Amino acid sequence: MKNRIGFIMKIMVCFMLILPISGCWSRHELNSLSFVVGVGLDKAEKPGEIQLTTQVVKPGELKSSSAKNKSSESGTNAYWNIKKTGYLASEIIKDFSHESSHKLYFPHNQVLIFERKLAEEGMQPYIDTFIRDIETRFNVLVVVSEDRASEVLDVSTGLEKLPAINIAKLVETQKITSESPTVKLIDFIRRLMSKTTAPIAPLIRVTGEGNEKTLEVFGTAVFKHDKLVGELNKRETRGLLWVINEVKGGMINVASSSGDGTVSLEITRAKSKMTPVIQADTILIKIDIKAEGIVNSQSGSENIASPDIVFSLEKKLSAEIGKEIMAALKTARDLNSDIFGFGDSIYWKYPSEWKKLKMKWDEVFPDVEVALNIDTKLRSTGNISAPAVPAKE
Amino acid sequence: MRLEKGIISSSQLMFLVAGYVLGSVLVAAFTNTVTKQYTWLVVLSGLAVSIPLALVYVALTRKFPGKDLVQINRIVYGPYLSKLVSALYIWFFCSIAGFMLAYLSQTIKDYMMPETPLFAICILFTCICAWTVRNGIEVLARTSVIFVMIIIFVILITFFLLLKDMELTNFLPFFDLSLKDFIQGTHIMMTLPFCEIVVFLMLFPYVNKGVETKKSVILGLLIGGGSILIDTVRNTAVLGVASTIMISPSIESVRLIDLAEIITRLEMLVITLLLIAMFIKVSVMYYGTVLGIARLCNLRSYRQLVLPIGSIIVSLSMMTFDSLAQSNDFATRTGPFFTLVFEFSPVITLLVAKIRKLPK
Repeated sequence: MKNRIGFIMKIMVCFMLILPISGCWSRHELNSLSFVVGVGLDKAEKPGEIQLTTQVVKPGELKSSSAKNKSSESGTNAYWNIKKTGYLASEIIKDFSHESSHKLYFPHNQVLIFERKLAEEGMQPYIDTFIRDIETRFNVLVVVSEDRASEVLDVSTGLEKLPAINIAKLVETQKITSESPTVKLIDFIRRLMSKTTAPIAPLIRVTGEGNEKTLEVFGTAVFKHDKLVGELNKRETRGLLWVINEVKGGMINVASSSGDGTVSLEITRAKSKMTPVIQADTILIKIDIKAEGIVNSQSGSENIASPDIVFSLEKKLSAEIGKEIMAALKTARDLNSDIFGFGDSIYWKYPSEWKKLKMKWDEVFPDVEVALNIDTKLRSTGNISAPAVPAKE
Repeated sequence: MRLEKGIISSSQLMFLVAGYVLGSVLVAAFTNTVTKQYTWLVVLSGLAVSIPLALVYVALTRKFPGKDLVQINRIVYGPYLSKLVSALYIWFFCSIAGFMLAYLSQTIKDYMMPETPLFAICILFTCICAWTVRNGIEVLARTSVIFVMIIIFVILITFFLLLKDMELTNFLPFFDLSLKDFIQGTHIMMTLPFCEIVVFLMLFPYVNKGVETKKSVILGLLIGGGSILIDTVRNTAVLGVASTIMISPSIESVRLIDLAEIITRLEMLVITLLLIAMFIKVSVMYYGTVLGIARLCNLRSYRQLVLPIGSIIVSLSMMTFDSLAQSNDFATRTGPFFTLVFEFSPVITLLVAKIRKLPK
């Protein structure tokens, strides 16, 4: 008898267990969510207010295979930019519920765009919610735009249906030239939390008019704490990237040794190391750079495939890299913003001396001496050894 | 009279200890606010300090073979004082189970199910633990073997997937920690993850070969400590200074895994890890409480106590902390001292036993 009751109980429990399988308490069905792929923050007209633009995906439009024709303008963009103004980003995000029938869903956000004017006033108050919120991720790319972020999020090139994805891929592609940094939110936070190292972010702007609008990434925005103080141009940016070991590729032109045209060299590999040396009262930062490159093109007719000429090209390449670094250093000194992380490197090696330096780092930084030791190797001359010209007699 | 019919082998004990220590793998993040990038160092020093204490626990159980903590207290402190000491211990086990449950449910609520009420998570989790405790020590020991292997596997795989994001400069400068912070960090590490194994004094009598207890406890501690070490090294190397402001650095660092945009968003692995590690920890504490009360009141079986104690643990976990800030504060300031009292008193028990020349 007892066994039978036990058996019936077990069966009943099994049936009851079916109920919780079917659903979950705080479920979010796919058709009640709006996927945010890009967020832009602009200064609003009223002082202290910001305008937040979020780009959400329209999944239905995304699927239609017919290539979208810009001229038809039938309103079939695969995205929808929602804009609202307010005082804090988190507040505005909640306010979007007045316009969007779907709940905004942030984990797939690709890019965070700050208008330059806003960044100049300080980003800390606005970036906080993107760090604190559970839904957001640290892989998000941080970008500063010269134009209004809402405009930038509206430029579609036709390669991607979603402008935000386009921007994210554009920023990632910059490693081909190493003339613009790729900054993820986690890198930005780490620099923001450092006492001396200044955050950086790539700069973006809209070029062209009307339907011909495209985006261009140019140079680096330089911050001091959370405020934008200046910018580096493309060449200076690569100078910075050489020092912080972020160069992945790029082209450098040097004059050929016989004065006959220029030789274009491509960087294939780069590695750098920073070592501070404190002697008496002077601070010296030693920067060792090892780079490898190949000959990419040549405008003259000289046969450069000889060890001597390769050696002189390597010399010139080293000098060119040195110039780039010095250019970046000069701008950083002018802006008094330690983008290279010299302060941190001193702290890592000389923690006790750093305690004294920490207080007056702003005065010390412009006078820090830098010694460069650049070692370059040209590994190959490409498919050909000599240019396609008639052999010289 | 044996309250528990089950017997566990010494290797099962090793896994049980390892799993128990690993239950605090995410709790270790509390020290990040104190010790910054040197958490790995205090994990090592905490482990080193806790091994002598673990040896004391083993020595105590060797001195009184086949006796658990309540019985040992009765022999050493006499019939009246021992009741008080044992009752305090039982309260300690019960409250730690409650705190752990509170931490677990708060984390799950924060990172997975923000709209689910806390008690739903607590009750479901405690139901599983209650079921395990009712089935006895053997079941718990056998599951722990599998679970510990899963946990170690997850920790290792996330470590290797994050290798490319690691920066060794995050550990520099090598040692720039004030002595006070170092001692505080070591103290937290020693008391919270490692020395809470004092509850195993309730379990030692059920190990089949008493002689090997020492070896398995030390090995278990080393396995658990080693895994916590790998976890903290990973977090610091990946997040750097940012790990000091994160509520849960493990989840945040694993979130950064991005292997060719295919293997991404693995943070659920960490939550799973937390869930199964906490299962072992809460179950052992729960088991210790139930067994202790049964022994204290001279009951013939502990089974009828399982559900009432479970409901006490659930309500304790709901009542103790109002917010994660409170539980963080408890873990860094009050908790280590609260637990140290109980973790250190077996040493006194051993000394008293030596002085009174017990057992006769």
